[in-house]
Amino acid sequence: MKRFKHADELISEREIMIAIPSFVIGVGVLTFSKDMAAVTIAADGWIPILIGGIIAIMITWIVAKLASSFPNQTFLSYASCIVTKPVALVLTFLFAVIASQLAVLQIREIADISKQYIFDRTPVEVIALTFLLVVVYAVAGSRVGLLRLNMMFFPIILVISLLVIVFSLNRFEWNHLFPMLETDFTGYMKGLRSAIFSYVGFGILWFYTVLVKKPKKVPKKAVIGMCIPVGLYLFIYVSIIGVFGNAVTSNLLFPTIELAKGVEIPGEIFERFESVFFTIWIMAIFNTTAMALDICVFALNSIFKNVQKYKILFVLSPLVYANAMYPQDLIEVYTYGTIVGYITFGYTVFVALLLLVVGKLRGVKPIG
Amino acid sequence: MSVVARRVKRKQNVIQNSNKQEENKQKENFSITIYKELDKNITNLKKMLGEPIDLVVRPFTVRGTEHKCAIAYIDGLVNDDLIHSHIMKNVQLETERKQLPDEKVKLFEVINNEIISASTEKGYTLDDLSNALLNGDTIFYLDGIDKVLLIDTRGWESRAIEEPDSETVIRGPREGFVENIQTNLVLLRRHIRDPNLRLKKHYIGRRSKKTIAVTYVDGIINPDIVKEVDRRLRAIDMDDAPGVGYIEQWIEDSFLSPFPQLINTERPDKVSAALLQGKLAIFLDGTPLVLVLPATFGNALQSPEDYYERWTIGTLIRGLRYLAAFISVFLPALYVALVSYHPGMIPQKLAFSIAATREGVPFPPFIEALLMTITMELLREAGARLPTTIGQTIGIVGGLVIGEAAVQAGIVSPIMVIVVALNAIASFAIPSYSVAISFRILLFGFLIASAVFGLFGIILAYIMINIHLVNLKSIGVPYSTPFAPTFLRDWNDLIFRSPIPLISRRPKYLQAEDEKSGNTGGKNL
Repeated sequence: MKRFKHADELISEREIMIAIPSFVIGVGVLTFSKDMAAVTIAADGWIPILIGGIIAIMITWIVAKLASSFPNQTFLSYASCIVTKPVALVLTFLFAVIASQLAVLQIREIADISKQYIFDRTPVEVIALTFLLVVVYAVAGSRVGLLRLNMMFFPIILVISLLVIVFSLNRFEWNHLFPMLETDFTGYMKGLRSAIFSYVGFGILWFYTVLVKKPKKVPKKAVIGMCIPVGLYLFIYVSIIGVFGNAVTSNLLFPTIELAKGVEIPGEIFERFESVFFTIWIMAIFNTTAMALDICVFALNSIFKNVQKYKILFVLSPLVYANAMYPQDLIEVYTYGTIVGYITFGYTVFVALLLLVVGKLRGVKPIG
Repeated sequence: MSVVARRVKRKQNVIQNSNKQEENKQKENFSITIYKELDKNITNLKKMLGEPIDLVVRPFTVRGTEHKCAIAYIDGLVNDDLIHSHIMKNVQLETERKQLPDEKVKLFEVINNEIISASTEKGYTLDDLSNALLNGDTIFYLDGIDKVLLIDTRGWESRAIEEPDSETVIRGPREGFVENIQTNLVLLRRHIRDPNLRLKKHYIGRRSKKTIAVTYVDGIINPDIVKEVDRRLRAIDMDDAPGVGYIEQWIEDSFLSPFPQLINTERPDKVSAALLQGKLAIFLDGTPLVLVLPATFGNALQSPEDYYERWTIGTLIRGLRYLAAFISVFLPALYVALVSYHPGMIPQKLAFSIAATREGVPFPPFIEALLMTITMELLREAGARLPTTIGQTIGIVGGLVIGEAAVQAGIVSPIMVIVVALNAIASFAIPSYSVAISFRILLFGFLIASAVFGLFGIILAYIMINIHLVNLKSIGVPYSTPFAPTFLRDWNDLIFRSPIPLISRRPKYLQAEDEKSGNTGGKNL
């Protein structure tokens, strides 16, 4: 039976445009200002954020271009075309591992932050488990449904971020932004390093491009999608520095939540805005986690074609949970997060370059 | 899909069984053939029906000939005037003026074509005959012919057209559907005078053989919807369908979902507006409710009233309704979460007054909220089942018991009473009863989530509802459209209701064949 055009298992390019910022914006937004403020002077962090953003947008474009030039092919099938099947299998498997690690990190951090800001007595293990179960429920549903979920949540996430920024303006002090451009070159480089791994997320294009109805439009939309987090990060960073100043920011654990803490809603309907902010932010973290886990399942499913999606998910979830509970304290989680960030970024770039270069050398022509 | 496939398979089995039943029938004392002899036919008919008291058989001879004939009908299902003027009078009087052929086959044809003035059909088997008889047709037998005439003489008492109780509007038409399907289809025809309006007949129910009419406007509706509905209707297998709810539960996509996936309505204007958008309506004989499909989440919070008022008012009312939906689902859960997990989020003065009123209340907020919401449900259900005159007492008793006595006795805090009352009022502001009830189910889910995890639980439950919504479909159309998959054009008639002249296209999510709606449509449900 011919089905409804939009009821089938395909998505529009607008959905991929929203998927990118939904994936990028997660736990990272809550912490990135701290690292950035630590290595730069005053508000100079905006330069590495912007440059890092531009680099991320460029890589996004390259990945999107590559993936969309093989329409209707999964990552595994076009990677096999370029770098032979065994190599492609390894590449896909590594993607699965990295995606699962991203999910692990998000789950662990959400549990830690929840404990700090909204619960104090509930154990981290219980919070993480509940969150993971909801994520598993989402991944068990249809993949397209998951991407549509982004469309439902992203506007809410954007609105709450803008609210926090707008309501912080009354505490904004211009002199916190000066002196400008005093940071030395190594400071910028360090800043760039921590900025860039806040933007990790273009990797989803390797996998989700195959679901798009008109793949030709993906590169343009993906670039627009990537611009959203860059803009948001810039605004948030400048607001945080403007409100707290550089020194205070570099000592805050979660500067963005602290920014929300100071927000006073006119009319005083409720207090402690940071709880509301973080509650809404759970949706953003959920989107990132669900997509990461889904990509892991997607990648494994393309390797083990005959195994049902549910079985993979069923085996994977306990592993992810155990892994998330492994780090002992916040510092370990933090170190772990940094490592995963570097690896993810490095690996995505490596795969992009590998496919580009080998593809050129072997003369593999993109189809369509 | 597989559920439907299983149903079809089950139905095939049932059909095989019914073939066995046919064989059994033959073994009984009546036969399924129609004989040439009149007397034999009449005894056979009586045997089949078990000689009921309301079966009327009247044998007579065709005037001016020797030919014996008879009519049979069920008293009460037929219109006596029609039998008199269309059959008896003509067969007795008209025959005299005409030169009647002597041969029986020709005589039968003449009677069919020239004498009887009502619409007729020929019946060849006892099955045709009994179907027609039980539908209110009159059977005409002629001795020596192994066929019968089925003459349409249906006519029975039905309720007058009234304003539907469950869906009142202030500025709209005051008519509602009744139990008679013919009347209902006439009501629809009077709204849509379009030759492309299609009315397709199906029969439902092995025993009851109820008529259902599938209606849509050809050239607007996406043909896939028609095909899919037809396929699902064919899979239905049950004895009787006393109400559209039976059909709804057979053809809906997910029976585990708390959300109604089809719209129920009693209003012809609502049905016609939906058909002109590219939807489909299913009428069932014997019930004033009509199923409209496919439905989306946006439809749940719309009322025809939105379109009858000017757009500013329509938009504001709709906004109010979204607020009502929010309150009816979230308010008690939020209260419980704030009071028991995040008291710091409540403004200080309010927190003090809440704490003061909670002084002496023996239960934690969750139990208190659960007690009150369940009492509320009891009151609502009791009020709905009682006759209207006594129903008001329920309101008074409930108001007094809950509002005054419970607070004075220190069982619940007055703030909880306010929360629950506000919540109940909000859920009554939702235009559709079935949607309001599904929201009440969600309310309990959120209440439990908030009791266990506070705000974290509420947001997780909210995420889960959304996961469910994006995976849910109504006759193949995603339930969460036009939110996601996003059709921004359709948003002009979603939360915001733009002025009617600006709603110039049918909703995109229905993928109508003719997208431009001119001035007639644009009405959303």
